Amino acid sequence: MSAADVTVAVGERRWVNRALGALAWLVGLLVFFPVFWMVLNSFKSEQDANTSPKLFFDPTLDRYREVTESAGGVLSFGEAFTNSAVIVLLSTLIVLALAIPAAYALAIRPVRRWRDVLFFIISTKFLPVVAAILPIWILARNLDLLNTQLVLVILYAGINLPLAVWMLRSFFREIPRELIEAAEIDGAGLRGQLSSVILPLAAPGIAATALLCVIFAWNEYFYAVQLNPAEGSTVPIWVTTNVSTRGEFLAKLSAASVLACIPVVLAGWIAQKRMIRGLAMGAIK
Amino acid sequence: MDHTVIRPRMRPALSDSWRRRLPLLPALLFLILLTQVPFALSIFYSLTDWKVVPPGPREFVGLDNYDSLLHDSFFGEAIWTSVRLTVFPVIGALVLGTAFALLLDRKFFGRGVVRTMLITPFLLVPVVVGLIWKNQLFHGLYGAINWVVENLGGTPVEFVSEHPTLSIGIVLVWQWTPFMMLIVLAGLQSQPTDIVEAAKVDGAGPFAIFRQLTLSHLRPYLELGILLGTIYLIQVYDQIAVMTGGGPGSTNVPYYVYQRSIGGGWEFGLASSYSIVVVIASIVIATFALRVLSTLLKGEQIA
Amino acid sequence: MSAVRYVEATRTYEGTDTPAVDSLSLDVDDGELLVLVGPSGSGKSTALRLLAGLEPLDAGEVHIGDRDVSNVRPRDRDIAMVFQNYALYPQLTVAENIGFALKQHGVPKEERAARVHETARTLDLEPYLDRKPKHLSGGQRQRVAMGRAIARQPAVYLMDEPLSNLDAKLRVQTRAEVAELQARLGVTTVYVTHDQVEAMTMGQRVAVLRDGVLQQVDAPSTLYHEPVNLFVAGFIGSPAMNLVDAGDERPLRIGDSALSLDGSAGTAIGNDGGVTVGFRPEALCVGEGPLSGEIRVVEDLGSEIFVHVAVDHRGERLPLVSKMSPPFEGRTGDRVTLQITGTTHLFDGDGSRIGSATATLG
Repeated sequence: MSAADVTVAVGERRWVNRALGALAWLVGLLVFFPVFWMVLNSFKSEQDANTSPKLFFDPTLDRYREVTESAGGVLSFGEAFTNSAVIVLLSTLIVLALAIPAAYALAIRPVRRWRDVLFFIISTKFLPVVAAILPIWILARNLDLLNTQLVLVILYAGINLPLAVWMLRSFFREIPRELIEAAEIDGAGLRGQLSSVILPLAAPGIAATALLCVIFAWNEYFYAVQLNPAEGSTVPIWVTTNVSTRGEFLAKLSAASVLACIPVVLAGWIAQKRMIRGLAMGAIK
Repeated sequence: MDHTVIRPRMRPALSDSWRRRLPLLPALLFLILLTQVPFALSIFYSLTDWKVVPPGPREFVGLDNYDSLLHDSFFGEAIWTSVRLTVFPVIGALVLGTAFALLLDRKFFGRGVVRTMLITPFLLVPVVVGLIWKNQLFHGLYGAINWVVENLGGTPVEFVSEHPTLSIGIVLVWQWTPFMMLIVLAGLQSQPTDIVEAAKVDGAGPFAIFRQLTLSHLRPYLELGILLGTIYLIQVYDQIAVMTGGGPGSTNVPYYVYQRSIGGGWEFGLASSYSIVVVIASIVIATFALRVLSTLLKGEQIA
Repeated sequence: MSAVRYVEATRTYEGTDTPAVDSLSLDVDDGELLVLVGPSGSGKSTALRLLAGLEPLDAGEVHIGDRDVSNVRPRDRDIAMVFQNYALYPQLTVAENIGFALKQHGVPKEERAARVHETARTLDLEPYLDRKPKHLSGGQRQRVAMGRAIARQPAVYLMDEPLSNLDAKLRVQTRAEVAELQARLGVTTVYVTHDQVEAMTMGQRVAVLRDGVLQQVDAPSTLYHEPVNLFVAGFIGSPAMNLVDAGDERPLRIGDSALSLDGSAGTAIGNDGGVTVGFRPEALCVGEGPLSGEIRVVEDLGSEIFVHVAVDHRGERLPLVSKMSPPFEGRTGDRVTLQITGTTHLFDGDGSRIGSATATLG
């Protein structure tokens, strides 16, 4: 329940409500402007894009055609998208498969030293990615994992696991104890409790967690560019290939950017309410 | 009626402690393997003089690397840049995010649309954000911002080259405000209404209610925002790489370490020592941040 | 052989010094409905949870039937539990809720359906079998919770304040239904409540707990007429027993009137030592008598009238309650006289009952 559940509070002057609403719109449009401009530019010719800001122009899909054409030897749009999709999907599934039981062991039937375990798990995120890249790169090379999808699947799972465990633990703590106890008495073990009580009740929280993992995995650039510059390259890498040192590229870059961002943006837009509800439900406790 | 009598299965059970630990083990082992092994290796490399280009023998040099690190002024600069690029964006995103959340917490026409617009920056690919801001908004000649500046009678500014720290800072704030906003929105949504109603009846105005009730309710949310924001912003690399490629004022510690190692320096041994220092510093910061964590966790009982 | 046995069961929560349940030894007979009652913090819920296996024992044992189940998991103890908040699985229908445990134990589908229907019929839940808990009223949910336990046909039923969340009228009605059902099914039941009226009406025997220690376990009437200490005397019965601290004085006095005791009670109290005198409201009569007091409040319930009076006793205004039958003329502020007409209990300085007698004020 929040202030937004009341349309106009009794006695509040209508103009205050309208003014704040207008302010919100103004802020929203301002913040959104770069995105809007990027989308606009993606439909322009390079000439149009590289002159003083133009609102009206002849729209064209040529930039999109350009960036999605496979030019031999260079990372293609199709390849990058496939790689990203596979890597993000697999790593998120792995994260959930590991984090759900772990959260169970930290929230529902906690191990004795759950606080220490939680500290440790979160502390792994304090290790900067840049610090770890060296040994990881060497290990990957020795294990012949450079330029593969597998190496990124594993690394992204490792990057997102701490956050997932943290969030899922909080969500699981919101489940009424009695429900778990009832299931326990009725004969359900870990699997039974998960399927009949925990997963159904924590579903919004699990969805919010999964979404965050997808966002971070899809958008990751550093590990991807260091480990997979040739093969298994992901969408963020592909976007950077659309920057030229000669000539103008802004429109092309805009088109590539739009394509790169669409999946996660759409997912985020659709799931935003669930995300907020999930976070409100208990990510913070 | 002939009933199946439920006879409870008497399986030999593991001890309770181990039954509790079992579900935790896969995740824990996975994480330990993935993080502690590289860490241990880093320590080992940092004690050698390993250079990859030009290749040479790798000899154990003890703490020499750490010694030279202390005299490295670039490292000091990188630390200062890191501080500026973490503290200010975190605070900025938090303040703005809270403001936006408060704006969104009331009903008005098209609220959903505005919220959708406000969360978008966080969903975008960071390299995209860096590239677009650099080439389109900040651009000296035909950037949108300079268009506004010119029309207001000012002279165009080369943001990225003349004000690298500021430029990157703005980009980071733009991208992370939605994250803070989401957290604060969740906090506002979970605020119990009866207390607010009681305050209204008692005569408190909106500012008083916010300052005395809402803010204290939001505290754990704000703390979580600071914690997570710090964790992620300390490690920023993408935007720096595509906007400035390093250089004075925009090289934070992660980027500097990168530059000394696989970014061109190829001094693996030396770079590892930098990494270890970063880790130690992170642990120090982490201890502080973890005290924040334990305030968050303190209210919970062991089940 | 008793169906349930607590043997010196003890449980101390981490971070606390005193045990929540302290060396509890209690036998429940086969088929009996035993009520655990006490104020909050008395350990009754903890005792139930020890029986369920939801709390570990720190000392002592718990037996179900002829098995020592002290280290056995809840799901292997052959018990069924009804929770205070019902704990219904929100995304399952009533039928699925009732049949959940059967499914977990591998009961075949047809038999499961048959048992679910039988249970639903017993509890008048048949029209609701396809509904989900959120579409049920509080009373219906309570019945589903009961149904879930009944369908199991376990060795013991455990009930943790199952009626507390019902409104008062429904509670009274359901109370009788539960007691009747238990008698019919004949399954051993351990029932926890904080409401002593509920305890008295439902239990074949009632165990009174205080601060984790068992005070007395007896049939309700024994608890009422022969309480073993001050606490039980004051806890059982509503309104509570009148308790007067008579101090060291002999003969015992209430206000200005001396209390004369018949029988051996006089010797039991000895010549010194603090004594507390207790008599129930029905033993105190407003009318003619040596003790004077002032009416504070008259509660007219129609069939009986509770008169709250204040008496000057040892320098303080002592509140007493008298139960009178209608008609009664008297209002707040009236000065009246009182006499004791029924059993009086005597408690020593430690709170134990040392004797009971018919006493008169003179």
